Amino acid sequence: MRFDLDMPAWKWPFYVARHPFEGFEDLRWKKAYNTKVSMVIVLCFFIITVCQQVMTGFLFNTNYVKIFNIVPLLVQTIILFFTWVIGNWSLCTLFDGEGSIKAITSVSAYALVPYLITQIVVIIASNVLLKSEGAFIVFFQYLGILWSVVLMISGIKTVHQYSVPKTLLAMIFTVAAMVVILFLLVLLLSLFQQVYIFGFSIYTELMYRFSL
Amino acid sequence: MPNMKKIAASAVSAIMAVSMLCSSAFADQPYEGYNYDWWGDPVPSQTGYVVDRVVTGLDFGSGTRYNTDAQLKEISDQTGNEVTKEVTIGELKEPQDLFIDRETQSLYIVDSGNNRILVTDVNYSRTFQVMDYFYNPETKKYETLKNPHGIFIRHVEDAENENESTMIYIADYDNCRILGVYADGTVFQIFERPASEFYDADVTFQPNKVVVDVAGNVYVNILSITDGAVMFAPDGSFSNFFGANRVEQTAQAIANKFWRTILSREAAAAFIQAVPMEFNNFDIDDEGFIYTVTASKSATTDIFKKMNPAGENILINLGFSDYTYGDMASYYYKNQTYGSQITDVDVDEDGTIRLLDYANGRIFEYTDECDLLFIYGGKGNQKGLFTNVTAIEAYNSVVYVLDSRKNSITTFKRTEFGDIVHEAMGLYNLGKYEEASGPWQEVLTRDSNYWFAYIGLGNSELSQGNYEKAMEYFYRNSRAGYNRAFKQFRMQFIRDNFNIFMIIVLVIIVALVVLSKVKKRLKAKKAGGNK
Repeated sequence: MRFDLDMPAWKWPFYVARHPFEGFEDLRWKKAYNTKVSMVIVLCFFIITVCQQVMTGFLFNTNYVKIFNIVPLLVQTIILFFTWVIGNWSLCTLFDGEGSIKAITSVSAYALVPYLITQIVVIIASNVLLKSEGAFIVFFQYLGILWSVVLMISGIKTVHQYSVPKTLLAMIFTVAAMVVILFLLVLLLSLFQQVYIFGFSIYTELMYRFSL
Repeated sequence: MPNMKKIAASAVSAIMAVSMLCSSAFADQPYEGYNYDWWGDPVPSQTGYVVDRVVTGLDFGSGTRYNTDAQLKEISDQTGNEVTKEVTIGELKEPQDLFIDRETQSLYIVDSGNNRILVTDVNYSRTFQVMDYFYNPETKKYETLKNPHGIFIRHVEDAENENESTMIYIADYDNCRILGVYADGTVFQIFERPASEFYDADVTFQPNKVVVDVAGNVYVNILSITDGAVMFAPDGSFSNFFGANRVEQTAQAIANKFWRTILSREAAAAFIQAVPMEFNNFDIDDEGFIYTVTASKSATTDIFKKMNPAGENILINLGFSDYTYGDMASYYYKNQTYGSQITDVDVDEDGTIRLLDYANGRIFEYTDECDLLFIYGGKGNQKGLFTNVTAIEAYNSVVYVLDSRKNSITTFKRTEFGDIVHEAMGLYNLGKYEEASGPWQEVLTRDSNYWFAYIGLGNSELSQGNYEKAMEYFYRNSRAGYNRAFKQFRMQFIRDNFNIFMIIVLVIIVALVVLSKVKKRLKAKKAGGNK
């Protein structure tokens, strides 16, 4: 055997990142999906995004952090991640995908690892590099994104046992599904708000009527 | 204790009196000064200029025609009307342009609706000269103006006499010509529509503004031409178009470009050609750079340009093309976009650039490197506000703004705060960063929001070698400054801590070597054990 695959759960994401193609096969074979590790990675995704906003060096920081607002960052990371998972699962179960929610969550989270690592490098580098050396930062940023995208494609492909074109198609449609889900979510929220306001106004009306 | 009561009462009344004085001192400015912070948000700021005087034509009393008595008699004979030497100035009518001749300190007002030019000095104290009949020695007739829109005065040193050393160029809008006259009103040249095949036959030649460079080349701004200013050689022949704006990269322009590359030539011709915006006004500085402004609500391309004699915008090369001139953000309300429309530009003797915003009646004052200094003025009917600004000129820290609906000239004078900023700017521009730090500190004590003072102080610290302090001043004020300071800081930091770095690196190398050796031995042991 080339590798010792009996490793603790936290080592799997790094193993997968180092072996973009066989890694997920091994993961599937070993049924080593782990929700706890995935959740930690998603939390790291959120924390690192916050760090990227406020800790990137002045020379490279183009974010508007005059007023720091955490809600958009939450939406951009955690909510986006779970919408992706739900969207992908609901789509792929209809199209012969074999992946369970747990499997999709793990695979998607593990695929984020290279992006997160390069992002940490970028945050540190942005505090020590000059503007003229910014090419390194851009390089690392693209490297991380590219690596993560490759991992994500490979992971989704393995988890559902798809061919490559079908995977790509599924991912594009997943994005469409995410848009629909978010739209419905916003719609639902505003409807509930309306209902709440309706109920509350009836309540106040009754209070006045019976002067309770 | 009646005495105590008395003291208390007088103290209270004194405080009240003082507070009333304060409140009345606040009320004399019809606008509030503001500036933009690092994030592009407007922040309140001390105003650099306050309204000094507002004058209309009625304040000017009477003036004299500059024509000689003999000429006046001839004019009267030719026109059939009595033309007198003495003229009552009366109300101005839609004046379009102002010009300050720095050499003679005279102020030229283009009184377009009355078809005349008024000349006085910068304090309006000299008797007004009225220019409306110009003797043309070629035809022996007198030329008149029809809705003149612009004026430019050029001084030549090697002229035959003093009269001919002053050359006045008038953009005679409705007569479709540029009239070149000497100081005594004798016409020496008339620039008319070029006969050249380069000039589109469908396009009118109605000169809006005129500028002349040191070599005597005449640049004419025509609002219906998008190719740039029409440029005449000194002898009056058409030479070429100068300094067109670039095409605004809208989604439509990009789509058209895409279709034009794949469609046949005939099919592509059906598309609307993307044309650049024409510029509305220009000015020239002592070094021969021409500054143009484009009054557009929506376009952001080439709103303000500084062009070298080859017609290239040098602000792009300096990296300033991304700057927003005028107000930072335009806002959209009831199907209308409200944003700055820069209608005139003035560059004064120390390079300060002032842009005049037609939409909001504001003046934006920049350094020669396009750093925002002050914003003042506003729109309204109050004294000191504007309804329809057309021209701006500045001389000796006094700013003149012409309003063509109020028919008035408003002068702004610099406040103490403005004086300090300009004193600091002067030292800063000379590279005397350390000497400038005193005034900059003074600026900050008066207005801690004033971002340019931080840049001045940062440069001062940088030139003294206090890199960390400089970084503090540049932080969230200037990326370029911070970059320079940080470069020096980093170099010094590495130099100072070189030993520590070397020790760390050595320790890491040693640790790695030892670790790999230990690992190897362990593996060997394991393998041996398995055997």
